Amino acid sequence: MGEEAKQVSASSAAVAHAVCFAGLAAAHYFSGRGALVSDPAHALRLLVVFEAPPVILVFSLLRRDPKRCSFLKAAARGLLGLPIGAFLNAFGAIVLGAPIGIKYWAATTYWSLLMSLFTFVPAACVFGASKVNWQIVLSHSTYCRPTDAVDYMISAPAHGAVIGAWLGAWPMPLDWERPWQFSMYFYSERKEDGDY
Amino acid sequence: MAGGGGASPSCAAVAGWTVAAVLLQVAGLCMFLYGFFPVKPTLPGFSGAASYRMPSCGPAGGGEEPALPPDQLRSLYRELSEVPPVYDRLVLMVIDGLPAEFILGRGGKPPSKEMMESMPYTQSLLAGCEAVGYHAKAAPPTVTMPRLKAMVSGAIGGFLDVAFNFNTQAFLDDNLLDQLHMIGYNLVMLGDETWIKLFPKLFWRQDGVSSFYVKDTVEVDFNVSRHLEFEFAAKDWNVLILHYLGLDHVGHTGGRQSVLMPPKLKEMDDVIRRVHNSVSGLEDNSGRTLLVVVSDHGMTEGGNHGGSSYEETDSLALFIGHSVQSSYCSPYDQNEALQVDLAPTLALLLGTPIPKNNIGVVLPELFNSLTDEQKLRTLELNSLQFLRLLQAQLPAFCLEDCINAKYGLGIDKYPESIEKKLCHLLSKAFDLHHPSHLHQRSNFKSTEAGYNRTAVDAYCEFLRYASEWLSHRATNKSFYLLVSAISLMIVSCLCLMGIVSCLHKGKSLSQFERHSEWSSDNHWHLDEVFIIMGIFLYVGSLGSSSFVEEEQYTWHYLTSTLYLIFLIKTTQSMLRESNSAVAQTEGKIFHGNNCSYVTRCKLIPRKRDGYKVCTIVIVLVSGRILRAWHQGGVNWVHFPDISKSLAQADSSVVKALQIISVLAVVVLYSASLLLLRPRKMNILAVWLSHFVCGILVVLHICQSQINTSLPTKHSTTSIAQIFYVIVSISLTFTFVASPWIFPIHSMEAEQTSSGSNPETAIRVQGINHSMFLTGLTYAAFWCLLQLLLQQPINAIPLLLIFLQTIFSIIHFSLDKSLHKKWVQIVAMQLLGLSGHFGLGNTNNLASIDVAGAFIGISSYSTVLSGILMFIITYGSPLLLYLGMVVYASVISSDDIPTPHQLKWSCILDKMITLPCLLPLLINSIALTSYTIVLLLMRNHLFVWSVFSPKYLYVCAATVCTYAGVFILAMTAVYTCTVFSYRTINYRNKSI
Repeated sequence: MGEEAKQVSASSAAVAHAVCFAGLAAAHYFSGRGALVSDPAHALRLLVVFEAPPVILVFSLLRRDPKRCSFLKAAARGLLGLPIGAFLNAFGAIVLGAPIGIKYWAATTYWSLLMSLFTFVPAACVFGASKVNWQIVLSHSTYCRPTDAVDYMISAPAHGAVIGAWLGAWPMPLDWERPWQFSMYFYSERKEDGDY
Repeated sequence: MAGGGGASPSCAAVAGWTVAAVLLQVAGLCMFLYGFFPVKPTLPGFSGAASYRMPSCGPAGGGEEPALPPDQLRSLYRELSEVPPVYDRLVLMVIDGLPAEFILGRGGKPPSKEMMESMPYTQSLLAGCEAVGYHAKAAPPTVTMPRLKAMVSGAIGGFLDVAFNFNTQAFLDDNLLDQLHMIGYNLVMLGDETWIKLFPKLFWRQDGVSSFYVKDTVEVDFNVSRHLEFEFAAKDWNVLILHYLGLDHVGHTGGRQSVLMPPKLKEMDDVIRRVHNSVSGLEDNSGRTLLVVVSDHGMTEGGNHGGSSYEETDSLALFIGHSVQSSYCSPYDQNEALQVDLAPTLALLLGTPIPKNNIGVVLPELFNSLTDEQKLRTLELNSLQFLRLLQAQLPAFCLEDCINAKYGLGIDKYPESIEKKLCHLLSKAFDLHHPSHLHQRSNFKSTEAGYNRTAVDAYCEFLRYASEWLSHRATNKSFYLLVSAISLMIVSCLCLMGIVSCLHKGKSLSQFERHSEWSSDNHWHLDEVFIIMGIFLYVGSLGSSSFVEEEQYTWHYLTSTLYLIFLIKTTQSMLRESNSAVAQTEGKIFHGNNCSYVTRCKLIPRKRDGYKVCTIVIVLVSGRILRAWHQGGVNWVHFPDISKSLAQADSSVVKALQIISVLAVVVLYSASLLLLRPRKMNILAVWLSHFVCGILVVLHICQSQINTSLPTKHSTTSIAQIFYVIVSISLTFTFVASPWIFPIHSMEAEQTSSGSNPETAIRVQGINHSMFLTGLTYAAFWCLLQLLLQQPINAIPLLLIFLQTIFSIIHFSLDKSLHKKWVQIVAMQLLGLSGHFGLGNTNNLASIDVAGAFIGISSYSTVLSGILMFIITYGSPLLLYLGMVVYASVISSDDIPTPHQLKWSCILDKMITLPCLLPLLINSIALTSYTIVLLLMRNHLFVWSVFSPKYLYVCAATVCTYAGVFILAMTAVYTCTVFSYRTINYRNKSI
């Protein structure tokens, strides 16, 4: 593991994240301002379409054990991981109270695909079915002991995305009748934008 | 209450401290309740002749007047009041729960066409300007008894009147009916027996009907109407009170849009027509009878009441008589009044003094037949009565001072203090009314008419202002009492925290000694951190009225997050185990013989992991369905959800779901009984009785019809009664007998003595088996009881909660070291709380299911129906406490007892200390913090509508916690005692 860690330098990590971020930015640019609130299904679809290629590409390049596993195989793992991760994320979201119904299923699907891109797909590309690595990424021990930079690159954004989504599920039973609540509403909209 | 005490603090010490903390808490709670919901300061005695004179300054010396015979008193009042009584007879028709909207429309618009057509006669009276109607705003709590009191006394009672609603006591304050009785009027009461409880000796003739059979919508009203003919022939009464309950019952069973509503309104309209026609025919000198149609409160869309929404407080006051007739009227204007305004208005119309504690204002439109001077006099009398009440509240308040202080006609600027403002308004009104105080009368002759109008306005302004101030004043609290009550609660909470942390420290130490591996790692896990954080989040959310109104979301969020964390932890441990399995030999992680009932069948590790994940997924999915079942708490009731769509569906679907739930409960119970190894006849008997109970519930479901006008059948009542009898017999039998049926020694174990002390191991197993059987029986019977009592729509949610309980216990028993014990207990308590809201409960008093509280009760009993109501409302938390008995039996079987652990106290400690202490602690934290919130919010706009009802729920939850913990502790203590007795006996015999 030690020599693999050295393969990822700080600059390449930065480039990898920049590429992923560029995908997000492009999707935002095309969907238009405030589209996440006005037409979430459409905006989320754009985000998924723009984000999926860079994520799979970048993390397939960063795959563990490149000698035994070809780039294409890693990408295929990522593609396979996309629906599985989406299923898990959708389960979490629905359990926490995401609405179920024909009206909502498109938005839920795209949202979970996007969350899968943030959480599941990178790990699937890099690790495949290696249980040890999955265990490390799942636990918070990544932050406590010196580990692989790739582990860190995968788990930190994934944890961030999950915590952000979880916070987003916090019930907000306000009646939006007071001025401060109204302003907070706008603020939370913006925060939501930033999250993605 | 808790028995325990193991390594660190002794058994008795823990129990003692816990009991002390609980007692402190109870004391603090009582003090707070007494301080926060004060018994309103009222003026004692009855208004008499003195009320017509100007009160003197200084302490109001209640000059006792000689008791006059009724006739003399009546003429004395007539003389003093300078206003002749407008009416000699009064027919007060109370239609329980009728929203004014049904008759007067809303927001200036007439009511819907259906409503108009349902009440043709009333509408024709309104259109013909022969009647005048008001939206008489009722004060919360909108339940019958406080509202009746408000109508007859003009005073708004304290909040706690709700609690006494089912335990009516005689009304001793000054009120209209007693005043009428004193001037020799004969009163006749037909209808709701609440009146008889309020005024036990007042009525000349009476026929009470009970308001407690909510499903009966026909008989209650027929029992009132059947007397009408006789009463109108007898003519010997002056006041006739008719209280019709049917409409409220229609609302409770089917809501505002019930199919029974239009016929019921038609029936009421017929009664109004009959009464009006007979009254007109009755007159010797025409038009001396006043017909007043009022409702005590409105109802929500779902037909409930108790809260303070517009729909619930929008009650009706409709006056039909000669003094309200006018040439022009617009009946559907939003004519606002207060319900308390009824008291002074009726008092003056009938020629009695206004009740002493009245805060209502005379409705001037009702005095159209009087001269202007007489109308002014009625307002003056009302003001004088207010002045007396104000003097009682503000000892320094004095009219003469006001007049001397030169707040005369010229000054229009309003002074700062309330006292001065009241002074100013009052003296202005008196000045305008009696200009001679300041000027020569002659100067003002020419403008008298104009002055009359301004005087009326000035009086009204004073009266409205003072009324509002007085009604707020009714909630005056002593701050020091409240603060000391809160400090008591805080001390108790800290005490409980101290015990728990002591135990925790002791436990982790002893655990550290025994285990060396990863199970003893000392740093905090994600779920533990989350629980601590979740408690803080919850406490914080209590400060916001919106969060209190929609509390179900908070609980669902916390519970499902906790179980999601469990899911992640389980996945992690699965990965870890499969990783370490390569290196380590199997059997290290789970010992050969630590299996509980659930894991008796030897599972291969992979299957075990699968089960672990499955159980959590089931809990999570059930939780999600529960949340979708009843959406929206107080504000967002209109949200679509499963229960609403089922309510619109065919009733056979609901029935089928109910029967499925009953069957599922029976099957689950039988399946778990099969896990018990020694299968004895006794267990079979218990199972049979459970099966019979299940059949009874199914019978009851089939017999009871939803939304029918038929009164409750006798057969359903007797089915429910048989059910109660069987349940209580089998529960008592199980409780008493289960410790006796399991062996304390076994031939098998002695032969294959592998453990250090096989006999004790068997004994511990016996205790666990017995607890398991008792707990399971409690829970299963409890479920059947709930299925019998709850609304039909709640059958599936109840089953889901039962499933959650069972699968949580299975999950915890599959791997006992995965989550810490206290986390498991908290998780179960969270399930109970989110289930509480999943059954459709809210923090609004209106959501209490009153209809269910009378199932199987053949004669009215406050205590029994109160208990049933509590059982229905707290069904879910109590189910989880009963499940905790099962859980206690499962967790204490986790490892081979070491010689150190053989003492009874130690077994008991392991079993129940934490399961008893943690619920107490969490409840104490919730109670204490919410009490502080309530104190801080005492001036909040929603204090009576949102925060106070929630406080009653918090108090009831405290009672529920005590009950649950008590059952758990008693079961464990009894079981252990029996086993120790049997062991001693056995030893003696063998020696």
